[in-house]
Order: sequence, then structure tokens, then C-alpha cells
Amino acid sequence: MTGALALLERTAGGVTSASREAVGVARTVADGGAVVGLLVGPGGTGPASGIPVDRLFTVEGPGLTDPSTAQYAALLSHAATQLGVARIVVPGTARGRDVVGRLAVRWAASAATGVTDVTLGEGGSLRITRPVFGGRASETLELPGPRQVFAPKPHAFSEPSAAAAPAPSETIALPDGFDKLPTRGAEGFEPTAGSKGPELGEASIVVSGGRGLRTPESFRLVEDLAESLGAAVGASRAVTDAGWRPSSYQVGQTGRSVSPQLYIAVGISGAIQHIVGMVSARVIVAINSDPQAPIFKVADYGVVGDLFPIVPALTKEIRKQRGLPAGPTGSGPG
Amino acid sequence: MVDFALTSEQTSLRDMARKFARTEMAPHAAECDRAGRFPDEIYRKAWELGLMNLNVPTEYGGTGLALFDQCLIVEELAHACAGMTTSIIANCLALEPILLGGTEEQKHRILDPFCAEYHLASFCLTEPSGGSDAGSLKTHARRDGDHYVLDGEKCFITNAPFASLYTVFATTDPTLRHKGINAFVVSRDTEGVLPGKEEEKMGHRASATSTVRFEGARVPVANRLGADGEGFSIAMRTLDQTRTPIGALATGIAQAAIDHAAAYAKRRHTFGKPIAEHQAIQIKLADMTQALRAARLLTWEAAWTIDHGERGSLESAVAKCFASDAAMRVADEAIQVFGGYGYMKEYPVEKLLRDAKLAQIYEGSNEIQRIVIARELLQRYA
Amino acid sequence: MEIAVLVKPVPDAETRLRPDAGGSGLDPEGVKWVLAGYDESAVEQALLLKESIPGTSVRAISYGPLARAEEVLRFAIALGCDAATSVEQPAGAPDDPLVTAAALHLALSKRAVALVLCGKQAGDDETGLVGPALAEMLGIAEYGVAVNVRWDAASSALTLQQSVEGGLVRVRASLPAVVALQQAWNDPRTAKLPNILKSRKAAIERMPASEVSSAIATVQALAARRLAFRLPPPRTGAKMIEYKSPEEAAERLVRILREEAKVFP
Repeated sequence: MTGALALLERTAGGVTSASREAVGVARTVADGGAVVGLLVGPGGTGPASGIPVDRLFTVEGPGLTDPSTAQYAALLSHAATQLGVARIVVPGTARGRDVVGRLAVRWAASAATGVTDVTLGEGGSLRITRPVFGGRASETLELPGPRQVFAPKPHAFSEPSAAAAPAPSETIALPDGFDKLPTRGAEGFEPTAGSKGPELGEASIVVSGGRGLRTPESFRLVEDLAESLGAAVGASRAVTDAGWRPSSYQVGQTGRSVSPQLYIAVGISGAIQHIVGMVSARVIVAINSDPQAPIFKVADYGVVGDLFPIVPALTKEIRKQRGLPAGPTGSGPG
Repeated sequence: MVDFALTSEQTSLRDMARKFARTEMAPHAAECDRAGRFPDEIYRKAWELGLMNLNVPTEYGGTGLALFDQCLIVEELAHACAGMTTSIIANCLALEPILLGGTEEQKHRILDPFCAEYHLASFCLTEPSGGSDAGSLKTHARRDGDHYVLDGEKCFITNAPFASLYTVFATTDPTLRHKGINAFVVSRDTEGVLPGKEEEKMGHRASATSTVRFEGARVPVANRLGADGEGFSIAMRTLDQTRTPIGALATGIAQAAIDHAAAYAKRRHTFGKPIAEHQAIQIKLADMTQALRAARLLTWEAAWTIDHGERGSLESAVAKCFASDAAMRVADEAIQVFGGYGYMKEYPVEKLLRDAKLAQIYEGSNEIQRIVIARELLQRYA
Repeated sequence: MEIAVLVKPVPDAETRLRPDAGGSGLDPEGVKWVLAGYDESAVEQALLLKESIPGTSVRAISYGPLARAEEVLRFAIALGCDAATSVEQPAGAPDDPLVTAAALHLALSKRAVALVLCGKQAGDDETGLVGPALAEMLGIAEYGVAVNVRWDAASSALTLQQSVEGGLVRVRASLPAVVALQQAWNDPRTAKLPNILKSRKAAIERMPASEVSSAIATVQALAARRLAFRLPPPRTGAKMIEYKSPEEAAERLVRILREEAKVFP
């Protein structure tokens, strides 16, 4: 068996970047076979145009605007069986991981999440590498065949180049017993308050602020910097404990773990509880007044100095370089 | 058989105390120290979690821990803040006379309601004219029918401004010296019980200390502990019990000093490398570690001895004296490792030195401890 | 109703990680095993629900080597769980989320549990797969990355929010269900000392390895094989940006991010 199936998660007007990354990875594990995309629910095949799959499956039906993980798992299992593919790649979003767990059971496949590297192994197996212990270590696993399902870690793989021509699309029918599966039960959506940027766990750039900002008002400096980069905003526990920002901002052992391409720590000293939540970022920049701060041990680049003039200057420079209007920068004290 | 391994129960008690110390106490230690603030909310939480009346058996509403287990907890708490720890364990000191000298009726009548809610108690022995020479105390108790009438002044009393209960040592007849002393349980709302204003202290600034004046305070005879004249013996046996946790408190200070010093030494660079790689610093850290470990083992030995039913006067005096001297030396060296930063209040080590100092003084000064040690030693020779 | 909360022993966050002799896993020597952080949130959430729904009991369930599993179960009891089941990991059984799910399924299939709570992932292998795999085995709904889990007494329904990309999805959960916690409403509580003492003597129900072996037999073929466990090369410390003015610091940093690190958007 060759070929791989990738789930394409719809988002407003397109598919998630994690889906495009999944397609790129699917090409690696298709072992010369076809890469098939599965697009679920109404909205046409438009969102998949430019995505380099060889075939595109679509499925429609009642309640598929927002499928449950059980429904996703059933659809993927059904499509994979029909196609005879050996591997399914699921986008590495929060819900994608849940789909992997269900699908592994339903499709009797070996499974992994958070995959940062994958190669073909012996006898239909896959060798995958994934970070463990908050990025403080990594493990290499052999996922036995004949079937595997896994989710790449967000941003670990680059998005594939766009396809010149749309892939032929075909519809598949719903599997038997589909109407008996648990549905999503969603009743509404609340965008993360105060954050216009991308979601913390998914962002390719994260800017976090800590106690060094001294007041809740000056946390604006961090948000302005994040906005200039199109980054998500995070915070150390000191900030969320003090109530400057809600606990959903917290990066670290008791908050979110992030692994962006770029992590900028502003006024964060770098307690181990914070480090474990961000150490797997590809590039870490620290801005702190204390040259002895432990954050500089894990950072790739450090700026020692008073953040109050430095951060607005940085925001200004970035906006200039990116051709953005000067914007509301330098509003903090100092 | 000697076995230094903690049981899984002891590990879980210690872990819980460590978590409380790190999450509830440590974040406020510097602020309370600077402002001299008595963090009542932290003490209330300590009570809610069963960290306060550690020595009181569960049948009277306490936690009922062996002395060894108490010491494990006290070390963890003191690692975060020795001052707060002093206020948290002050109840153990104040209630121990009731446990040692009280009747079953007195224990239930006094301890059951006391432990059921958040209350503080104070141990009132020391007087302005002298602390160590307890036999010559001046606070007077005059029998008047079924009451005693107390007059006099106690000083350096931990938690006194906030306590709802005082165990007070007073003499019914100064000419009898030790034999005239009695121990009384005095409620705060007794007329003539007058706590003074809080003292400004060098260390232990999260703890509150004041005088307590007794002006014609009427105490029921039913609140006298033990037989007439047994007070001095109760006081001494109390201190035999509570001296060992001071060794644990000092050990906690020493451990904190080493933790700060070693972490700092690894990140502070001079002459192109971390100062931890300079032998001058390594020797300091090695000496500090020896002092710490000896302090901990002596504390454990004393607690173990007392838990096995012996009085442990020698062991507890050795533990308290050695550990508090060790804490003082280790805190001093930690400041030296930090250099100029160590002298600054912005860094945590100068507080440790100020806190360690009290451990050499209270609950029997180290001079008294040495007298006890020598006396116990010499008794063993013909 | 009965709530089950899944608790996993993981190495303490301060564990010094190093590979074992074979280089394929974590060296367990000297490792202190504690309750996984998100699982602690799950316990907290279970206890909050117990406090808000009359007649609710909470059972903690743990799968792993007996001593480790029982240690975290006693911790869960000290926090306030009513009962505990230890599912013994058979010697040689692989550490794999699907195997774990099958073992836990054995313990749960014998009970009428309305709600299974667990952490969204454990701090060691961080797979996040046990909850959803277990839900699929049980044939029930599962709600991942859950926050604000509440019981609506008026409609006898469980409501929650799921923390997804860009915001929170409000969900009315259908029970029975598995809910994997991102966060409880409260920081996990601290166990009271007297409860810790009591928990040491609490009875723990045991599912022996012999029973577990047959339950995990089929999924064991799917288990991943561990080939290597590596530590990242030590970070050498930050390259410090030299500057004379904030503007110069900004210019230099941006240039480095663009030309050297190649992460400038």
C-alpha cells in the first residue's frame, strides 16, 4: 500500500495552515503513491485550490459544517479504506490531535502527535521524531505498519508550494452508522478577548511579557510589538497571577506550551516554569535589564537594557521594515 | 538499625509543605519583610491546610504529627520565610504546655474550640528583666477564691498582638523560685490582658512580636495547668519539645541560602567564567553544604530520639544550637558569594542572615543551650 | 453521578533528564513521580463538579507500574477524590497511549461512569491521545482542550468551552463523555495535611496485571517502538546585541532576525 490521506480543515475562506503543512508531510510518507486531500462539509472545493494534492475527496451531509472529532475519525477511516492508503496525516491543531486518538482506535493504526520529523522505515513502518518533556528532550519512535496516523507539530514542516492546477475532486458517501456518532454540540464561538493576533498555540511568532513591565498599562508595549509582527501575545505567570492579563495568556508549565519560529521574551527573567513552555521555539530573543537573568541562557539573541525605550524602538523599526503605518507605538511610560 | 530514608507518607507531607511554602509564602516573603507586614491571610490558609497546630493530636482537632514529621514541614516552610514560619509554629509552642500539663477535661475544653477555627496562641514566659533565667520571673499570680489574679509584664511574645489565647507562666510565691511557678491558660478577652504595640525587628519581620501586660487579670483556677508549682517543669519540658523544630527552621534558612548562592554562582561570571568554577567559591559552597547537612541530621536525630519517648534534652539542645549557628554562617557566606549584590535588599540573601540571627537567640539562647549540653555531658561522668 | 478522573504519574518537572543505558528512553533512576499537571487540573475540575452536583462521587483511575500509580492515586484521594482504582501495567507492556487507553477502558467498561475527566496531555510524552482514544473505545463523545466546565442544574447538562485557534467554542456536552482539561476554573487546590495522612490508609481497588494483559493484547501490536531518546544540544547562551541607543538596538536586532535567523515575517 502506498499513498497518504491528509485532512483539510476548513477555516473562514480557506483551510488552516496546519492543513497545508499536513499535505506537505503526506507527500513525504506517500512513498511514491498519491496524496489525497479530504475536505469535509459545505463550502465547495475553492478553499483547496492551490493545495498540491493529487486527488481531492469531498464529503457533505447534515451537520458537517462543524464535524465532531468522532465524525472526522469516521470519515477519514472510511475514505482511507476506500482508497487503500496506509497513512493519514491530520493537521496539528488542538482538535486535529483529538482526531488522531480516535482514528487510531477506529482504523487500528499506530499513532503519534507533535511530529517534527518523519522518514520511511523498514517493512512499512515510519520513523518519527517528536519533542517530549516540553521540548527538553526528543524521542524517535518507530510506528509499525500497516497503517499509521499522525499529526505534525505546527510549524515543524514548511507549507508546500502551491499547485498550478486544482486536483480532480470527487465526492464520497457517508459511512454506515454515521448518524449515530456523537456530534459537535457547539453553540457559539467567542474570539479570544483583546487579542487580534493569531492563537497562542498556533502562532509562528509569539511575543511575551513579564514582571519587568512593572505595570499592567505598560503591557501595551508587548501587544504593540506583537501587532507589528503579526504575532500572538503571551505572558509569564507573574503577569497572569497579578491579573494584568487573563490566564489564557500564560506560557509555561501551568499554562500553554508554544513552539513558534520566533519567541520574543520581554522583561521575563526566565524561571524554569516559564522556560519549559517556550524552550522548543526555533529562535528565542530576550530583552531584559538583568544581564544575569536565566532567560539569556536559553535565548539565541539577547538585548540587555531598559525595555521601556527599547521595545517601542523595536516596534517602530519593525513597522518601518514591514511597510506598516507608524501606528500606536511608544505609548508606555519612559 | 539506622535508616535515613523517608517513608512515602513523610515525602508526601514534605512535598505538600514545600508546595505551600513556594506558592503561598515565598512570593510574599520579600514584601512582608520590607513592610514588616503580618500576613494574616497566609496564616489563615496555613491553618486551613492543617499546617498550624501540628503537635496537637487529632482528637483535639490538631494535625497530630510526630516531632520528626513536624521538623520536615518546618524546614520547608522556613526555606520560604523564617518569619512566617515562626508565626505559624508559635501555636505549637503555646499549646504544648496544655498537651503536657493539661487534664483530659482541660484539653478538650480549651483545644477543641481553639483548633476548630483559625486562632493564634502565644507562649508567655520571657520577661523584660530576663528570658533565660526563667526561674526568677516576676509576673505574679495571687489566689483569690476560685481565681488567680495575674499582674506583670511579658516581652518578645510571638503573635501576641493577634493571639486569642495565652499560656502564661507566673509565680505564686517568688521566694519558692522554680517551685512557685505555675502555668495558666488565659483568654485574650479577659479583662486586664493588654498586648503592647508591635516591635520593629531586625528579622522575622512577617511575624508579630509585642509585650503583654497583665493588670489584675482574673484567671479561673480551672485554667491552671498541672499541680500547684508544676509550671516551671511544664515550661522546661515544653522547650525540650519545641527546641528541635527551631533546628529545622534554621536548617531551612541554611538550605535557602545554599540554593540562592549556588544558583547565583552558576550564572554570575567573572574572569571569563561562572564564579562557581572558581575554587574560592567552590570551597565556600562545600563548607556551607557540610554545615547544612550536619544541621539537618542533628535535627533529625533529636526529633527521632524524642519520638522514641526520651526527653532528648541533650539532642535537642545540640540540634538547635548547631543548626542555628550553621544557618548564621551559611547565610553569611551566601552573602559573600553574592558580593555587593548580596548586601542589597533587592536580593534575597541578606534577609536570611537577619532571620538566622533570631534562631541563635529565641527558645533558649545558644549560650543556654551550651550550658544544657555541658550539664548533660558532665552528668555522664563520675 | 459518578465521575472518573484519569491520573498519570509523570517525572517531576525538576527531573534532570537523561537517556537510559539503551539510549531509547528516559533513565528512571532517581526520578520522582508526581501527578501530571493537566491531570491535576482534571482532579480539581472533578472536585468542583462534585461540589456543585449533589450525589456525585469521584473515582481516580491510574494506569502504570503499581507503586507509581498508587502514589498519584493517594495524592488524588488527599485532594478529595472518593475512591481510587489502580490498573497495573504488566511487566514489559509498552508505554504507548493506545495501550494505556485500552487498559483504562478495561477499568471503565465495568462502571456506569457519566463523565471521564483527564488532562489534555501529560507533561512527559505529551501525546494527548489517551482521552480521545478512550472515548472511541467507549463509543462516546469527547471534548478536548476544555475550559470553564460547568454543570447547568436547570437543564441537567454539562457546558464547557474549548480553547481552539483564535478563541473559545461554547459547547453543550452530551453525556457520557470524556473531557480533556486545558484548565479548571481554579488553580488546583492544595491537599490538607490531615487528608494526606488519611489518604495513606485509604483502600485502593486493584486491577491486576494478569487481567490487564488480555485487555491490551490487541492494541499492543499498534504500539510505537522506542528507538532513541535525546537531549537537545545545550544552548550556548544568547548572542548579546551591542548598541549605543535603543534605535540602534532595534535596527541590529531586526537585521539579525532577517539575515541570520531568517525569521523576520
